[in-house]
Amino acid sequence: MSGRLCRRLLRLGLPASSAGGWSRLSGAGLNGTGPPGAGRSGLSGGGRMNVFSREMKQRQKDWAAQLQDSQQYDYLRQEVGSRVADRVYDIARTFPLALDIGGGRSHIAEHLSKEVVERFCLTDVSQQSLRRRRPSEIPTHCVLADEEFLPFKENTFDLVVSSLALHWINDLPGALRQIHQVLKPDGVFIGAMVGGETLYELRCSLQLAETEREGGFSPHISPYTAVTDLGNLLGQAGFNMLTVDIDDIQVHYPGIMEVMTDLQGMGESNCAWNRKSLLHRDTILAAAAIYKEMYGSEDGSIPATFEILYMIGWKPHESQAKPAKRGSATASFGDLSKTG
Amino acid sequence: MSGSNVWSRTREKMRLFPELFAQCANEAAVYGKCVAATTTGTQELRKDLCAKEFEALKICFTNAVSASVSNCHTESSV
Repeated sequence: MSGRLCRRLLRLGLPASSAGGWSRLSGAGLNGTGPPGAGRSGLSGGGRMNVFSREMKQRQKDWAAQLQDSQQYDYLRQEVGSRVADRVYDIARTFPLALDIGGGRSHIAEHLSKEVVERFCLTDVSQQSLRRRRPSEIPTHCVLADEEFLPFKENTFDLVVSSLALHWINDLPGALRQIHQVLKPDGVFIGAMVGGETLYELRCSLQLAETEREGGFSPHISPYTAVTDLGNLLGQAGFNMLTVDIDDIQVHYPGIMEVMTDLQGMGESNCAWNRKSLLHRDTILAAAAIYKEMYGSEDGSIPATFEILYMIGWKPHESQAKPAKRGSATASFGDLSKTG
Repeated sequence: MSGSNVWSRTREKMRLFPELFAQCANEAAVYGKCVAATTTGTQELRKDLCAKEFEALKICFTNAVSASVSNCHTESSV
């Protein structure tokens, strides 16, 4: 018990340990300013992955939700939520029942109108976030549920959305399969998750600082899915007509402490099992100097990159366009040379 | 968690970090350049490669801390 208390003390007292990111570089040495993070889905089949402590994530989200000034940390979720809502609007349909997975304080529903979505269901692991959800004109049900164990029947929802919640899921293929299950045929899943090169500046600064000060480094940023793996994951889960695109959001901060405090306030503290709960003050000082020197801009601020992956997948249905049968072509490419 | 405890006190101390760090911008830049040079050059980064520069940074930072602490004390005693 004292071990857990100790860890909590260090987590709250030293916000440095709250950054969420992991880079396991398989070779020795450092690759410079932007090493690619190892994709989690590199593991083939096999048993369940257990990378994150879901219980800790719930406690962190509860803590972040009941902060007095929790609104000021909402900027990233607001931005991504509005972009996901944009994608919902792009689909010219009305969805009778929609589900928001890991929605927290609900940043998507407020941008949608009753003509697009008639009823909304919001799930999250954190009760405090659900209690403080933002108002929306669509009637909403709140369900306290873990994203990996959805308590819904098959073929329930016409639309499933998820914004910035999938990167803390242990078994992403399994979660995508469950989403596929709860969708009705011809239902659509629109998701946004952080991936790829998110927070690479923070990751590198901490890595270099720890190597120079302590002789080795441990993961502080959680592992992210690479965009190339996302298509495979969605395909394996049974979605078709996939669309995956990337958006880079760069936020400028005064310094490394503000980056880490904001990540903590967003509820994005690290909860991987292999996280180190202590960051020496020397390392924080060194990382601040390195971050500023390597990535700082002329006006003295430092950028933090959030790479957001947006994905759209449809549950198969007969009405959807299929690839044409072999041999059904009516014109030949060879005819192109005969025109004109 | 109500009242003053070690977590809230530590967090208060960490809140001063940005100001104090800003006072040591030069030393920080020197240290940062030393470490950044290893990412482009042939030399690989190992422990205490830039120890000298870091010592300078740490001394500057510690002075800034004691200066701010003594400021606080004089203000509260008035």
